[in-house]
Amino acid sequence: MTDFNLVEWRFERRLDPRPAARIVALAVAAAAAALVCSLLFIAAGASPRAAFAALLQGSFGSLRAAGETLVKATPLIFTGLAACVAFRARIWNIGAEGQVFAGAMFAYWLQHNLTGFPPFVQIPVVIAGGIVGGALYAGLAGVLKTRFSVDEVISTVMLNYIIVYVLSLLLLRGPWSEAGGFFEQTPKVDPDSALPLLFSGSRLHFGFLLAIVTAGLVQMLLTRTPLGYEIKAAGSNIRALEVQGTNTRRLILVVLLVSGALAGLAGITEVYGVHYRLKAGAITGYGYSGIIVAILGQLHPVGVVVASVLFGALLNGATLMQIKTSVPSALIYAIQAILLLFFLAGWAACNFRLRRVARA
Amino acid sequence: MLDALFQAAVLTSVAAATIRISTPLLLASLGELVAERSGVYNMGLEGMMLMGAFTSYLAAYESGSLWLGVLAAGLTGALMALVFAVLVITLKIEQIVTGLAVNLLGAGLSTYWLRSAFAGDGKTPTIPFFADVPVPGLSNIPVLGPILFDQRMLTYIAFLMVPAVWLFLFRTRYGLIVRCAGDNPKALDVKGVRVAPVQYAAVVFGGLMAGLAGAFLSVGQAARFVPDMTNGRGWLAIIIVIAGLWRPYPILVAALVFSFLDALQLQIQGVGIAIPYQFMLMMPYVAAIVALMIRRSRASAPARLGVPYTRE
Amino acid sequence: MSKIPRLSVRHLTKRFAALVANDDISLDVMPGELHCLLGENGAGKSTLSSCLYGLYQPDAGEIRVDGKTVQLRSPGEAIRAGIGMVHQHFVLVPGFTVVENVAVGTGSGWRLGRAEALSRIEAICSTYGISLNPHQFVGDLSVGEQQWVEIVKALYTGARLLILDEPTAVLTPEESRRLFAIVRRLTGEDLSIVLISHKMAEVMQSDQVSVLRKGRLVGTVVTSQVSRDQLTTMMVGRSVAAPTRAGDAKAHGETVLSVRGLTQLRDRRPVLDNASLDIAAGEIVGIAGVSGNGQDELFECLAGLAHPDGGKILLDGETLQAYSPATIAAKGVGYVPSDRFRDGLVADLDIGENLVLGQQWQARWRKGPFIDAAALDANARTAISAYSIAATGPSAPSRKLSGGNAQKVILAREFAKATRLLLCNQPTRGLDIGAIEFVHRQLLRKRDEGCAILLASEELDDLFALSRRIGVMFRGRILAVLDTKKATYDEIGSLMAGHRSEAAA
Repeated sequence: MTDFNLVEWRFERRLDPRPAARIVALAVAAAAAALVCSLLFIAAGASPRAAFAALLQGSFGSLRAAGETLVKATPLIFTGLAACVAFRARIWNIGAEGQVFAGAMFAYWLQHNLTGFPPFVQIPVVIAGGIVGGALYAGLAGVLKTRFSVDEVISTVMLNYIIVYVLSLLLLRGPWSEAGGFFEQTPKVDPDSALPLLFSGSRLHFGFLLAIVTAGLVQMLLTRTPLGYEIKAAGSNIRALEVQGTNTRRLILVVLLVSGALAGLAGITEVYGVHYRLKAGAITGYGYSGIIVAILGQLHPVGVVVASVLFGALLNGATLMQIKTSVPSALIYAIQAILLLFFLAGWAACNFRLRRVARA
Repeated sequence: MLDALFQAAVLTSVAAATIRISTPLLLASLGELVAERSGVYNMGLEGMMLMGAFTSYLAAYESGSLWLGVLAAGLTGALMALVFAVLVITLKIEQIVTGLAVNLLGAGLSTYWLRSAFAGDGKTPTIPFFADVPVPGLSNIPVLGPILFDQRMLTYIAFLMVPAVWLFLFRTRYGLIVRCAGDNPKALDVKGVRVAPVQYAAVVFGGLMAGLAGAFLSVGQAARFVPDMTNGRGWLAIIIVIAGLWRPYPILVAALVFSFLDALQLQIQGVGIAIPYQFMLMMPYVAAIVALMIRRSRASAPARLGVPYTRE
Repeated sequence: MSKIPRLSVRHLTKRFAALVANDDISLDVMPGELHCLLGENGAGKSTLSSCLYGLYQPDAGEIRVDGKTVQLRSPGEAIRAGIGMVHQHFVLVPGFTVVENVAVGTGSGWRLGRAEALSRIEAICSTYGISLNPHQFVGDLSVGEQQWVEIVKALYTGARLLILDEPTAVLTPEESRRLFAIVRRLTGEDLSIVLISHKMAEVMQSDQVSVLRKGRLVGTVVTSQVSRDQLTTMMVGRSVAAPTRAGDAKAHGETVLSVRGLTQLRDRRPVLDNASLDIAAGEIVGIAGVSGNGQDELFECLAGLAHPDGGKILLDGETLQAYSPATIAAKGVGYVPSDRFRDGLVADLDIGENLVLGQQWQARWRKGPFIDAAALDANARTAISAYSIAATGPSAPSRKLSGGNAQKVILAREFAKATRLLLCNQPTRGLDIGAIEFVHRQLLRKRDEGCAILLASEELDDLFALSRRIGVMFRGRILAVLDTKKATYDEIGSLMAGHRSEAAA
């Protein structure tokens, strides 16, 4: 036996990872993701330096650009919070995508009959419509889970596909289609139903303020209320919660309703804050990005806001990047996924440590 | 006009389309079956399929060989599955979240790559696709011949995989090990068989099959790649495994039912019946939810499905 | 002795962080010897057996098999060294047949080799007098038969040293006798057996006993040369008085719980079969039985977690209908579940939060829409001192609690809840003697307050020490309810094996 065999390196599971290790993991994940991005830039024939510079300039280069970044961040904050509430309870609501649609559609259904009413009537109806629409659609998955034990992962994904066709049905030569229009979209909504802009010269609208306030409310809900207590307990050991007398079916349903309501708000901020008409292109993609945002934000409302602004910047900067370096803006979606994968790996890896051990 | 539907020729063409359309679903769900039997929920199927569809298109376009495209798809699927396996088996990250990340990666990367490979007017060139290969003799049988024996090579492969996977799982030593890993991995561990390599192999096989499924969509059928062209087929394959009670032959039946809905939709559009096409397009997804609602129990699922194995 | 020991352990030490689970342990097991490892829970028996089977790697020391030093880095290496193990919790696949369970992971290549496996299994069974149908699904076998499958599994891999970890914990007395008959045929064929146990009746049948206490080897003795009392003293470190019967409460009052013909079916087979029982206020009624004979189902029906398919439950004379855990708890019923970490505690909640689990909406823990952190804190401080829970404070995380302290948290919560009836399923399982005594005192205190208590335990000592009457469960039935004063251990033991006694009232 040689000396080499007397010691060996072994991966061991840490009992409780320190917070510092988490932050290091996050940084390493971000660096690794940036590296992979650079390789992708090079593969697309662009200099990484120029591409990153264009990204940054496009997202924070001017007050206007920064405002636009926050506009893009707004729906992500809502869908991120939606995932945050559900995932904390280990309820895998993958359906924020569909719930965004449902929120926008329900709000539009209520509001387009109220055209001509003053803003103080229309805007609350729009917000309530987003909340109720999203909640109802998520509630459908909740009923499927609690009454028919259909796994929520699969039902919410299926519902995401279904609602896209429902919207198309309503828009393409359907009751909501624009008269004489060629595209699958509604006519412009009544200006009195639009979410007010916060500053002149920027598209930043009331929805952003609503998102920040909502993040605060969600934080309070999670940490201080009995429902937050139940969410935390359900995420850890839902069986013990049930054994000790909590109606966990109702809890699952309530969590999905809350999660869906949050996602539904993302639908109305896009329709009534940015595009002023309902079309699939205005509301697609935020549900899935919201899940990434929630996980990168460590399922914490403040983290969700930070991650949303980062992703808003990526989405916003990508346009300038495409113009300046001809790197396709579709890269952003790949970057998001890569960031998530590296982050997951880094997070998991800090549960391990490399230890030198003497051989027995 | 409804009469037209029931004419023999139409029925034959619906049946033949059902068989054709079932190819990717069957390939992907048989791969998922093996992965799930080993205890791993591969929810990244959709992304693996999509990347497979893209790389097979790209490889076939660059090389001019469709089979090289198929090979590229298989390798891509396997490689993505390997990454997935490292994350969920070795690092024991939540399988649902990781699967989702893989899906998003597949969607983002394939679109980005497509746009950078075919920059310009945004149109992607079409390539020749696989032709039907009639089985000599058998394809001349009336009715059944054109339905069953006048299909593409990948379709024959997919259908032959059904008995092959059954034989593997229930009649080989390795199949027994895979099933044991899904039902009680500790029973393997205490016999001195390491669980992780078994699950790695099963997951990589699942990824390879998902890649092939993707290849059928692009080089086997559409002759080009369109972003998000899988359109939920990966998820349907997961549902088919559940509806098929984790057994190869019932999975075949479930795959055919879903494909039939899709084939019917194509036929109705062709005949021009006045049902909004969106209704027909959403049918498979509605059917999937209904299938899960009427399913009585989860008793046939591998007992430790989705639970990472740790010794104590 | 001139023979080479089959197993020889030298100075084996295994640490987990700060805890030394095995400290410098040395022992020998000769071929054909039945060697018992005796010790309390947490004495290090399981750690030692895991080291011997390659599941853990010792930090220091040496293991020799037949005189040859071996490195056991995995169960595979242990198997190759000729060591087999029967785990306390069986490691079987219910959906596999006996043959498949035994053969999986053995052999090489693609071939399943079912026929060869079958003939080898039949040969093993006939050699050692084991009766098994190799084609049956393991899920359909009785617990005792599953034990035989585990033994066959180990012998199939060519084990010459067999470790049996608490093999009789789940067996009826009759099955235990059969097990020992098989064990003796094995040792007769020169196999060595290491038996891990804390049941004295079994320990006394062994050839040698090694006693462990707090990770250290107290000593190895020849069984025939020591008495039970001597072994107990070695194991506990002090002499233990035989369990004495606590005096009855001064008076027991009106009937609190009345169970009539309770029946529950699973896969069309009864897991609870026409069970009837009464408990009065201020009375402890014990439930004896080998685990898996319907105790868990009985408690789950009473706690509202499962609904019976027949019969009824009356609480204070009122029939429970369409009830849930919450409605039952609201009637003053506390429930201490048998699996405390699965059913009793939420690991991510702190102690203060766990103490109000299930009561999070009650007005006394709330201030407006929010949880009243101060009220939780005060409640936790009281409980921590009243139940002497070893924790830094109310916000100490629950996931690090030891079994005993976790149980104290649950007792504190459930005792506060139980004004009428307390359901205790295996409250002393896995606890050390100090914690067991604590649980006993608390149960008696609760009884004297006039609470009706249903207490199930696999330890007859618990039942004899505490209960006024003992019901015996077998295959979902309550065979008899005996007056503890008139009952004997033998009588209860024979009822546990399913033999109806004439004396049963």
